[in-house]
Amino acid sequence: MFNGLKYVWPFRGMRRADIGMPFTVLFKKFTSILERNNRILEEMADTGDKLSGEYVFDRQYLVDASDRLTDQVFKLISDFSLLDNRKNADLFLAFERIRQQIREELAGHPAFALGSLVIPLFEASQDLRERGGGKMAVLSEIHNRLQLNTPDGFVITTKAFMDLMAHNGLLARVQEGFAGLSRQDPEGLKGLVEQIQQNIQAATIPPALAARIDAQLDILARHYPHRPLALALRSSAWGEDEESSFAGQYTSVLNVPRSRVLEAYRRVLASLYSLEAWQYRLDHDYREHETAMAVGCQMMATGTVSGVVQTYADLSDQPAILVASVRGLGAAVVGGDAPADTFYLARTPPYQLIRQELAEKTRQLIAVPGGGTAWEPVPDDLRQTASLTPPQLEALAQQAMAIECYYKRPQNIEWTFTDEGEPVILQAGPLRLQAAAPNSEPAVIDTTARASIVFAERGLVAQRGVAVGKVVVVRNDTDLERFPYGGILVSRYTSPRFSRVMHKARGIITDVGSPAGHMATVAREYRIPTVVNTQIATQRLNDGDEITLDATGNVVYRGNIANLDRFELTEEIVFEESYEYRLLRRLLKRISAFHLVDPKSANFTASACRTYHDITRYIHEKSVETLIRLSDEIGVGHSSAPRRLSTKVPLGLTVIDAGGGIAGSPTTGAITRDQVVSLPLGALLDGIDESAMWGTQPLSVDMGSFMSSLTRTFTASLAAPQKMGRNLAVVLEAYLNLHLRIGYHFTIIDAYMSDRINDNMIHFRFLGGVTDFLRRSRRAKFVAAVLEHFDFRVDVRGDLVIARIKKLPLARMTSRMRMLGGLIGYTRQLDARMHSDNEIARHVKLFTNAIGKAIGGSNE
Amino acid sequence: MNDNPVPANSARLSIMVIDDEPIVCKRLQSAFLKAGYRVEAFTDSAAALARLMDEPFDAIVTDLKMEGTDGIQVLTDAKRRHPQIQVVVITGFATMETAKESFHQGAFDFVAKPFKLSDILDCIKRIENRIRPAGQEGRAQPSTV
Repeated sequence: MFNGLKYVWPFRGMRRADIGMPFTVLFKKFTSILERNNRILEEMADTGDKLSGEYVFDRQYLVDASDRLTDQVFKLISDFSLLDNRKNADLFLAFERIRQQIREELAGHPAFALGSLVIPLFEASQDLRERGGGKMAVLSEIHNRLQLNTPDGFVITTKAFMDLMAHNGLLARVQEGFAGLSRQDPEGLKGLVEQIQQNIQAATIPPALAARIDAQLDILARHYPHRPLALALRSSAWGEDEESSFAGQYTSVLNVPRSRVLEAYRRVLASLYSLEAWQYRLDHDYREHETAMAVGCQMMATGTVSGVVQTYADLSDQPAILVASVRGLGAAVVGGDAPADTFYLARTPPYQLIRQELAEKTRQLIAVPGGGTAWEPVPDDLRQTASLTPPQLEALAQQAMAIECYYKRPQNIEWTFTDEGEPVILQAGPLRLQAAAPNSEPAVIDTTARASIVFAERGLVAQRGVAVGKVVVVRNDTDLERFPYGGILVSRYTSPRFSRVMHKARGIITDVGSPAGHMATVAREYRIPTVVNTQIATQRLNDGDEITLDATGNVVYRGNIANLDRFELTEEIVFEESYEYRLLRRLLKRISAFHLVDPKSANFTASACRTYHDITRYIHEKSVETLIRLSDEIGVGHSSAPRRLSTKVPLGLTVIDAGGGIAGSPTTGAITRDQVVSLPLGALLDGIDESAMWGTQPLSVDMGSFMSSLTRTFTASLAAPQKMGRNLAVVLEAYLNLHLRIGYHFTIIDAYMSDRINDNMIHFRFLGGVTDFLRRSRRAKFVAAVLEHFDFRVDVRGDLVIARIKKLPLARMTSRMRMLGGLIGYTRQLDARMHSDNEIARHVKLFTNAIGKAIGGSNE
Repeated sequence: MNDNPVPANSARLSIMVIDDEPIVCKRLQSAFLKAGYRVEAFTDSAAALARLMDEPFDAIVTDLKMEGTDGIQVLTDAKRRHPQIQVVVITGFATMETAKESFHQGAFDFVAKPFKLSDILDCIKRIENRIRPAGQEGRAQPSTV
């Protein structure tokens, strides 16, 4: 960002600060830190972009990208040490820790030896695959990401398995056993696995593990107090999901009472060493150290009707969704123990029923109170009738297609309807489809050549994939609230607000927007085929049009191109399921995940840094602090010293011009708005002035707020009384770094604005306040809602708001900077004014209306 | 404009992909197939060269740095056997020298990894245009609304 900016050095000959080094040298270090800071952020974003699937990369790229970042972060710490005049041992230690973790990931050392023994399914973070196994990872994604019902519960992790095996001396025994085994010795293998199975069934559960399981069961018992706990224990092996043929080899135990959970747990674990599973593994060259079993312990879903959905079945003339259902528990369908009703539904909304074949259902499997399952007769009047109603079929189809869309593979899904009539997803996995023979005349080309194209190669692919569905044009929040399942969202702009309907949308097409924007990031999380910046989508597409969006080839076709859909579903590799993609995700967890959000918190320390992003953020914050301190020590009077900016409202702002940000070379200390050349600072000041939102009278604060303001303690660096009103801006012509304390809250802006769209960005942070936490949080919610309205990517943690926007044209960046000026004025004492949550929305409306007039329309 | 090339009846462009990273092979194979080309992919460059004895492909997309036979060798060997073959070199270690060397040996293009699928498809389209100039390929023109 600073490349090519050669600025006149304003601090030549300045006297040494007490740090023992000329201020010029230190300031140079400071700018170099900012520059490197930005380079690291860009490189992190660049690496993150590779998740889109648009790029082809290999493991070597991941090694190189990690190395580059490691090198940059190391140099950043070194620069900071010089500025800070310290050794920063903690920072180097944190760096070393992260670097080591990245190395381990790249070396392919499985992470399942680490972490917790149990993880609640509904709280699981992004990728449970390593620690929770494939099956439970899928269920937690279906619940947490797609927002569908799955049984509550927890997963006993692969780490717990490792601990149990080690505790009982079994790891060594297994290794010795397999080492001594000849490949051509089926009897030897049989003997070995039987022995291991017996050992596991008889194993002692390590006390720490037993205690954690017990604690989780207590939590479940508290959540579901009305009946004794009945649980289902399901296998969830490491790597199980990669090949569906694996999955059938393991045991699940249904309807387990609390007293028998540990016994059932051992039974499921033992099935990892079934003869069939091991034969399969040996045939596929798996090693024994690649084997680990997590076990899901879930509330038993005792449905009245259950079964299986397969999302892709070939009917004679068209592909369809197949639903097989029985009364009672679904094990009857899976095991084939009872005749099932069969329904075929269309694959697109409203998922019309194409055909049904009803079976005579004479008996059903039920959960016996107290444990176990049993058969009982179906009441006479229910034997001949359809086990599912049309609305139930539609609900199932909706959910099944949402799952297929996410995993980009036809799905085989087990489900049940609860007594309350709610569908619950019990299990989901890929359904293998036969791909067209390679290099046969590809039907997909014939079809697409005949198809009618709405437009092609317009805009940028943010997430690959194929989507078939009806266009839903979204113009405002009402459209968004009405957004139907399975629609393809078409809109003029990208907006982070769309994340609200991501679990329902099949595809997204916008006229403007960037693949690096927040919405694109969220679309990638949901794996929704997305094309942005097409310029013409809203002109060419109307509500209700049926289209096929090919976000891989970047073409929009009229109508349903089923062949294209099928090609996508049978593609040899689903990028998101590839090893390289998963590795990239794991690396990004060490690199660009962000934990150090709150500079006021006691945890804002070097040793708390867990990722390269944390280190970068920490150093940025501390560098600015150091610079403020040093600029205080320089004193006024020097021709190039920091200068006071006189403004209509009392900002108390001191400006350091690092090159081209202030016009002329005035000899007086104070400067005026007219002399500000810096684009971001100019726009901000104009916004503060012209929005006229700076109330002149301090508002009365009620007694509670007043007391709170008296007792609230600030950390010294942020709120030392002598620093009040000492606000600092460091500017270049296109750059602004601003630390502004107004009243009791703190605004930090880091912005770059020029004609180079790709470099344009505003980072905005807002925190602090005079009143109690609740009111400050309200204000944070207000600020977040306003920023989201203006397309910022917003992150709120308590009373801290972090917002970013980037890569907009200069005019749009400028209007946003002016809006921020208005926002700073408006929020000055807002928390004292907002007495209830209801007032948040009211103030958002008041502000956006008023600012729209002041800066010329909110959506330009 | 349609991005899916539609070749004349059976005269689909044949492409050989060589990269010792399976992920690159799989993803290129899938993208080329979808675009209507005939594709064979190899993670072992020696096996690829042996296959080239049987059939002259229209184009080769090869990695540069591989175990055994490296990309430059593939390039020179293929060009020697089938001078009309068009070779695209893809590499994660792009330097001015490797690029120069590739072009010197007759490479059609040189693409640095990581690259966008659309970039490599563009490259193949340019090859197609060179060996099957417009008018001779019987490209169906889809209707554009």
